[in-house]
Amino acid sequence: MTRLLLRRYRLMLASWLLLMIAMCAITISAYRTTYATDELRRAAVLKAQKNPATNLVYGLLPDPGTPNQMYGWEIGAFATILAAVMGVLIAVALTRANEDDGTLELLRSCGLAPKTPLRSALTVLAGCATVLFAGVGGAFGATVAMTFLLVAALTTLLAQIAPTAGQARLLGFALVGVSFAVRAFADTRDVAWLNWLSPLGLRAVVQPFTTDRWWALLPALLFTVAAAIGAMLLSSRREFGAGFIRRRDIHHGRLRVRSATGFAFRLARGSLLTWTIAVAAIGSLFAAMGSSTVEQQREGEVGGFLGSQLGAGDPAAGFLSYCGTIVGIIICVYAVLSASDSRRAERLGLTDLQLTTGLRRWSPLAAQATVTAAGAAIILTATGVLTALIAPAMLDGDDIAARAFVYMIGQWPAAAAMTGCTVLLAGALPRLTALAWLPLIASTTVALLGDLLKVPQRIQDLSLFQHVPDVATANPPTVALLVLTGLGVGLSLAGLAGVARRDLLLG
Amino acid sequence: MIIETTALVKRFGTFTAVDGLDLSVEEGSVHGFLGPNGAGKSTTIRVLLGLYKPTSGQVRVTRRISYVPGEVTLWPNLTGQQVLDALAGLRGTRDEAAERRLADEFALDTRRRVRTYSKGNRQKVALIAAFAARTDLLILDEPTSGLDPLMEQLFQRCVRDAAAAGRTVLLSSHILAEVEDVCDTVTIIKDGRLVESGRLADMRHLAASAVTARLPEDQAAVIVNRLGFGDCANGLLHLSVPRDLVPRALGLLAEANAQDITCTPARLEDLFLRHYAVAAR
Repeated sequence: MTRLLLRRYRLMLASWLLLMIAMCAITISAYRTTYATDELRRAAVLKAQKNPATNLVYGLLPDPGTPNQMYGWEIGAFATILAAVMGVLIAVALTRANEDDGTLELLRSCGLAPKTPLRSALTVLAGCATVLFAGVGGAFGATVAMTFLLVAALTTLLAQIAPTAGQARLLGFALVGVSFAVRAFADTRDVAWLNWLSPLGLRAVVQPFTTDRWWALLPALLFTVAAAIGAMLLSSRREFGAGFIRRRDIHHGRLRVRSATGFAFRLARGSLLTWTIAVAAIGSLFAAMGSSTVEQQREGEVGGFLGSQLGAGDPAAGFLSYCGTIVGIIICVYAVLSASDSRRAERLGLTDLQLTTGLRRWSPLAAQATVTAAGAAIILTATGVLTALIAPAMLDGDDIAARAFVYMIGQWPAAAAMTGCTVLLAGALPRLTALAWLPLIASTTVALLGDLLKVPQRIQDLSLFQHVPDVATANPPTVALLVLTGLGVGLSLAGLAGVARRDLLLG
Repeated sequence: MIIETTALVKRFGTFTAVDGLDLSVEEGSVHGFLGPNGAGKSTTIRVLLGLYKPTSGQVRVTRRISYVPGEVTLWPNLTGQQVLDALAGLRGTRDEAAERRLADEFALDTRRRVRTYSKGNRQKVALIAAFAARTDLLILDEPTSGLDPLMEQLFQRCVRDAAAAGRTVLLSSHILAEVEDVCDTVTIIKDGRLVESGRLADMRHLAASAVTARLPEDQAAVIVNRLGFGDCANGLLHLSVPRDLVPRALGLLAEANAQDITCTPARLEDLFLRHYAVAAR
């Protein structure tokens, strides 16, 4: 069973682990070169230690602020959150998802002992944590691996209680959210002991690169073992495929649908709400964290990756433009995923059902394209408004609110172009829909690393991002945005023409 | 004719799924569409629905169609009721009273989410939507594979009601008894080509009744001799009698004082099974 789990999820496990290990390994050297002299770094550290926004997101930066400590503080924050998210996803995939999709039933029918699946899942989780620890190394690696294992074990426990795999995932994410909130509270209100109670506070209690308190991992290990034993106990006391919470499947709601677009919108409503909240939160938080960066840039201190992102213009505008690029990348991911949904619906035969009610051939795809473009506009508007409200309080500079709003909303043409690209593939070359990720990956690489890799400006201009002009300048150029929008419309229409001409494919 | 295809060909690459099929279905009839697995039934149906483009040949079919696929997939997060709402909403016309009546008859709890439905329940949702819709033609592709026997009976009644209301039904099915019970006409295809098509009553004529009787061997031999067919073992005579010869055969048996006479009328199954035997392709 353990080997079967490894075989089935090898791609998911390997890519997560590689991503984590690579992220931790590649970035560490960057911290040694960001600041030219120790004095400059010391000044930056003092600013960061006093900044409540960075304390909220990354935690407290310990003295004296060596490059390794800065790495553990900044990358450590990302790595532990990522490890926690990965813990939730992998734990649910290894346990409840197997029950919900029926594969475990098949295995149980072959005479597998009822206890084996959970035991195997826990073994695989422990194995992942070991690989993570070995790959990242040191007390820092141990912290990341322990965070992963603790969250995974707690999620496994929650998965015995939740009625479905989806609900188990939600409970797991709620756990990560609460852990983050507790850690943020502990670090901003100086109640350090609270960090002992949060899986994400583990980094603060172990203090890698500062005191390397290995023994501080012990309570977390005990919690992990307790959660695993608890999960085993609960598992033997519940029904197969059901949790302790009964699921509510009776629902009296009705649907008022008049068009394919209305129906597509109704189907997308839930995920659109999640995306809106997540992107607005990430975007505004990112913008809010920029005060020290903007000030350093004013003094001409920021080099390396961040320096290349900020450019040579007004520092506040440069930083907001960078935030816009990040939000632009995320919104394009949304656009590709949302537009690809039409392909999934076609494969499952859902499109057949819609078409046989008498709809035109292109109508479901057009509906999905419309919903995707409108959804991107909704997400960006919410993000723009929230950032425009928060950023002026955090950043010094002129026209912060207007710039924040426009840099966010200005990503819409890029999302429209990506929607068009996906719709073209889903419509005309459905088997190649996944290729829609290529322009996004290429543009992201160029946007983030173009200057560092010395990519010629002519090629950089082909990227989807970094075309939003600064609204504070006179006559901002908008040609690129019009081109992107036109591209989106044109490609979409070509995709619609394509789908009207071909067979609908099942499976 | 509500459905008429002429020399319909559908190719996928080098594979020819439908090869010059002429299918015609009369308005108001219940038409059985039969053939072994892989004969091209579902492909033909998808062409009729406009989901596949024909490679060549003509297709004429009404646009007011209800369709029930063999494998029904619905939106898992919606309830049965919401799926009915959506399909009717997209269609633009609706008979909600008929939907409610059918949901009651099929004993379907439409307040539950689709994700909790079994295969049979998902089929019921699709059947209710199809029968309740105001359409001229119902295309049903093996619609009863997940239904229990009671629901199967109800389904047959719904098909008859639809026919009585002047609607046409094209029923693709492997359940021969079901086809025999509800269809007026049938088309049998194999390897994408037409094998037989016509009225069921006419086809029954072609099939033979099975007659058995118990009588002494020497008398049995006489009867076999006079009829020109049949065989006898352990005092039990087996005759496979063409429909028009049945009275004569029974007369002969009565004359010979045969015991335990049984006569089973022609079963379509025997006729169909002949066509079903097919090599994989």
